[in-house]
Amino acid sequence: MLRATVKSLLARKLRLVLTALAIVLGVGFTAGTFVLTDTALKSFDDLFGQVYANTDVVVQAHQAFNPTEGGGGGGGGGQELNPIPERLLPSVRAVPGVRFAEGSVQSFAQIVDPATGKTIQSGGAPTIGSSWSPDLSPFTLEPGGAPPVGPHEVVIDAGTAGDHHLTVGQHVRVVTPAASDEYTISGFVRFGSSNSLLGASFAIFDLPTAQRLFQREGAFDFIYVQGDGSSTPEQLAARIAGVLPHGFDAITGTSAASQQQDQVNQGLGFLRTGLLVFGFVALFVGAFIIFNTFNIVVTQRSRELALFRALGAMRRQVMTSVLVEAAVVGLVASVIGVLVGIVLAIGLKALVAAVGLKLPPTALVIAPRTVLVSLVLGTTITVAAAVSPARRASRVAPIEALRESTAPSSSIRRRVIVGTLVTVVGVGSLAVGLFGGVSNAGYLVGLGAALTFVGVAMLSPLIARPIASTLGRPFRGRIAGKLGGENANRNPRRTASTAAALMIGLGLVTFVAVFAASLKSSVTAVLDRTLRSDLMLTASQFSPFSPQLARGLSSSPDFSAVSPLRQGAEAKVGSSTTFPVGIDPATITEVASIEMDAGSITGLSEPNTVAVSRTEADGKHLAVGGTLQMQFARTGSRRLTVVGIFEPNALLNDYAVSLGTYDANVAQQLDSTVFLKYATGVDQATARANLEALVARDYPSVEVNDQAQTKATYVKQVDQFFAIVYVLLILSVLISAFGIVNTLGLSIYERIRELGLLRAVGMSRRQVKRMIRVEAVIIAVLGALLGLVVGILFGWAMQRALSSVGIDRLAIPFAQLVFMLIVAALIGLLAAIWPARRAAKLNVLEAISYE
Amino acid sequence: MSSTITKVAARTESLRKVYGEGDASVEALRGVTLEFAAAGFTAIMGPSGSGKSTLLHCLAGLDTPTEGHVFIGDVDITTLSERLLTQLRRDKIGFVFQAYNLIPTLTAGENITLPLDIAGRDVDRAWFDEVVDTTGLRDRLSHKPTELSGGQQQRVAGARALVSRPEIVFADEPTGNLDSRSSDELLTFLRGAVTDHGQTIVMVTHDARAASYADRAVFLGDGQVVDEMQAPTAERILDRLKSLEV
Repeated sequence: MLRATVKSLLARKLRLVLTALAIVLGVGFTAGTFVLTDTALKSFDDLFGQVYANTDVVVQAHQAFNPTEGGGGGGGGGQELNPIPERLLPSVRAVPGVRFAEGSVQSFAQIVDPATGKTIQSGGAPTIGSSWSPDLSPFTLEPGGAPPVGPHEVVIDAGTAGDHHLTVGQHVRVVTPAASDEYTISGFVRFGSSNSLLGASFAIFDLPTAQRLFQREGAFDFIYVQGDGSSTPEQLAARIAGVLPHGFDAITGTSAASQQQDQVNQGLGFLRTGLLVFGFVALFVGAFIIFNTFNIVVTQRSRELALFRALGAMRRQVMTSVLVEAAVVGLVASVIGVLVGIVLAIGLKALVAAVGLKLPPTALVIAPRTVLVSLVLGTTITVAAAVSPARRASRVAPIEALRESTAPSSSIRRRVIVGTLVTVVGVGSLAVGLFGGVSNAGYLVGLGAALTFVGVAMLSPLIARPIASTLGRPFRGRIAGKLGGENANRNPRRTASTAAALMIGLGLVTFVAVFAASLKSSVTAVLDRTLRSDLMLTASQFSPFSPQLARGLSSSPDFSAVSPLRQGAEAKVGSSTTFPVGIDPATITEVASIEMDAGSITGLSEPNTVAVSRTEADGKHLAVGGTLQMQFARTGSRRLTVVGIFEPNALLNDYAVSLGTYDANVAQQLDSTVFLKYATGVDQATARANLEALVARDYPSVEVNDQAQTKATYVKQVDQFFAIVYVLLILSVLISAFGIVNTLGLSIYERIRELGLLRAVGMSRRQVKRMIRVEAVIIAVLGALLGLVVGILFGWAMQRALSSVGIDRLAIPFAQLVFMLIVAALIGLLAAIWPARRAAKLNVLEAISYE
Repeated sequence: MSSTITKVAARTESLRKVYGEGDASVEALRGVTLEFAAAGFTAIMGPSGSGKSTLLHCLAGLDTPTEGHVFIGDVDITTLSERLLTQLRRDKIGFVFQAYNLIPTLTAGENITLPLDIAGRDVDRAWFDEVVDTTGLRDRLSHKPTELSGGQQQRVAGARALVSRPEIVFADEPTGNLDSRSSDELLTFLRGAVTDHGQTIVMVTHDARAASYADRAVFLGDGQVVDEMQAPTAERILDRLKSLEV
């Protein structure tokens, strides 16, 4: 039986290839994600190892928790650490076993390209400012340069210098938290063998200059220590810890490196999870195609299977033979998938480098886990998808060998019952996940969505016939179109399950489109409602900028209100992570209309107070006058009194505090947005022109936007983000196109006599092709329609679930959805190319004298 | 031949067909020259492997001969491109195969008009009605093929072959899968088409009784014409076949 299985596999190589492709792509993407993130981790690992190569011990302020180094956000040096007083340095130096001890400060520093006048930033890579460490520097000076000395010199990383053609002795503008000034380049540095640290830009000043520019007068962020070799780093760290006051830690260089590694780990973890979701979706779609192919093949092979049964094969043997076939296909496809994944990772790495995140030249990391997970996943999914066809195969009666008949199919009644049940469970868990407020909601939503797709796919044959008939109507005028339509209709199950694969991909695209449209519509509406400012100052790449800008403007007669907003520091309330917003309670109401449920926003002028969004207040049972504990990385737990509860809006997250409270607990005291209102009687055009000139000169990273521009910028950001999501979903759509190719190919094989007859009675090749194309288009559009319905429902559910956090409008982008239907029809046409050619090339004589 | 005054619907000239190459080659037709008079019903007979199916396929433009010529009317079809050949089959030739004659997704009526629909030609209603009435299947026109008996299916196929008024109809063992009653119905239908409407029919069969409906029987043996018989009867054919098989 096993030998027969292998033989039947090899006899149908092409079908094998097409079936396997679905799994290859899904596994490839999954494996590629693992390889890419593992490689990135390894790069960072190596990097931190190099950075701390000379450092045995690091002294830093104690942190309440280790904040996530999340989405790259270009600030750089956003260490949520208390500064270390300078006076601790002599005591550290005095500890026995210390050879060198140096204070260091770090912050952001944006270098302005003298050629363009714009700040240099490649992709999302950070722009880092640092002090020069003469003895413990992780940097190596390139020949011809000198360390920075005095308030007017800077050293820049060789990578940035090379990319932007900077030369030693040249003057460049550097924007730091405290100033925007010109400096003379005294030299370039590299990092071990690498020119660049992941594309980050570095501006390095001597220690006193850096302390002033980074607002660390009389203080350090870190003290780096190198031992004299007389003791281990652990012993040295313990001894140094002994001389430090409360609130400061001494840790080994190795553990400092691993701490930073942990932060990167978390960030990359998000990326990995995000990418894996798309890999799983692709595999899910692949499972449909496996299911479909095996079903068709079982039907076509029913006589052969019946012959096996007639010759004495047990049901179990028949079932096993199909499952073994699936396992072989799955395993082979997974092995190829892993290889494809490696290639994909190389491509992705190059892509990432192209947008600026240059990974150091580390060899690709192919962990045993990557291979194992990919193989197990790919094979399991393939076998699981083949279980139902295998059961069907085992039910072929021996008598079928003697009859012209097809394999039995499960009753429609059972299908309706099971399909309805699966759909109900799917929708149910989706609802619980979205609205139930349970933990692990993400898994529940994912499971619910998957089950809903399966359920709808099971039920879809019921509606496939009428829909396919309707879709076929426009083609009925001509015989080729009519026959194509009839063919799409003759096996509704096959048509429906082929369409179902496309439904998943396009359903998710629709969902994303509806969600994105709702998000844009809701947020722009909120901005319209909330924003009362005339102008907004924001920095590109979400990097915050110096509060000096707002301070300078507040004395300008052009503006009646200047209201800065700070955010970006992570805090915890209970176990949940949040990003509190710092605002100026005195001016915020002039630039924004904040709708209060209770209390007032001006109450924030009292120290240690907080305003909470209504959703958060409801969830955490907070009321005005009550208190909550907010934990900051820098200062630890703080008890804050609730002074107001506000309706969710686009500006304030869940928690708003005053700038004073913010600065008291957060290290990075930089503005992320400044709202401006023109003073009455001012010539607004002139005021704006003056402001833009000032910003262009001193704060090149800052953009001046009016309300319309703010909205446009926001919409553009949303579009950019979702464009990436669409691109990742294309993979699934592509796989489902293979499904259509596969089904059509198998159907043609089945209808070979019929095609022969049509050709014999005079149907031209063109007409045959047209017939196949019509069938493909009907299948594709059917899938798209199902996807549209499911996707819109998902989008609606998501919008309802998130309406409390501000997505209070459902927007259905009709034009985009119509476009999608057209694209689906094109996919059908593309998928039909190969089967149509095959059908047209058919040898008429062979087809009619078959058997 | 004596039929010089009769119009010729199709003819072959020294037709040869070789399958395969070198030692493995098989010569299926070794120089067949035949004429098929218009409005005549010819049966081609012969034992298995005598080349009768190959001859029919070459005549119908489904297979290309290795040497020689095939004329349908005045057209030498061995010189036609695949495209023109398809058009010729569509417009000038009708087919009845042994089985699988009908498209399962189309009704009987739609199957009958299939060649016209493929050509995009209008259906001649009067002629359609006449053909359908001869088949006796008027009340079955809206049925799908699976709802028809084997004999009914073959009569639908016959009607389809006639409806486009082809110059010639080729039938390849049309009664091969039928019981004797259904066979008689189909053959009577084909005979009627020749007698009443002047249709030309060439039929390959190994059934002497089927061949007895024809005006003329041509016997093939080992790729060559070995004999022919005018106004054949079943007995005479059986006798001749016996002598051929010895």
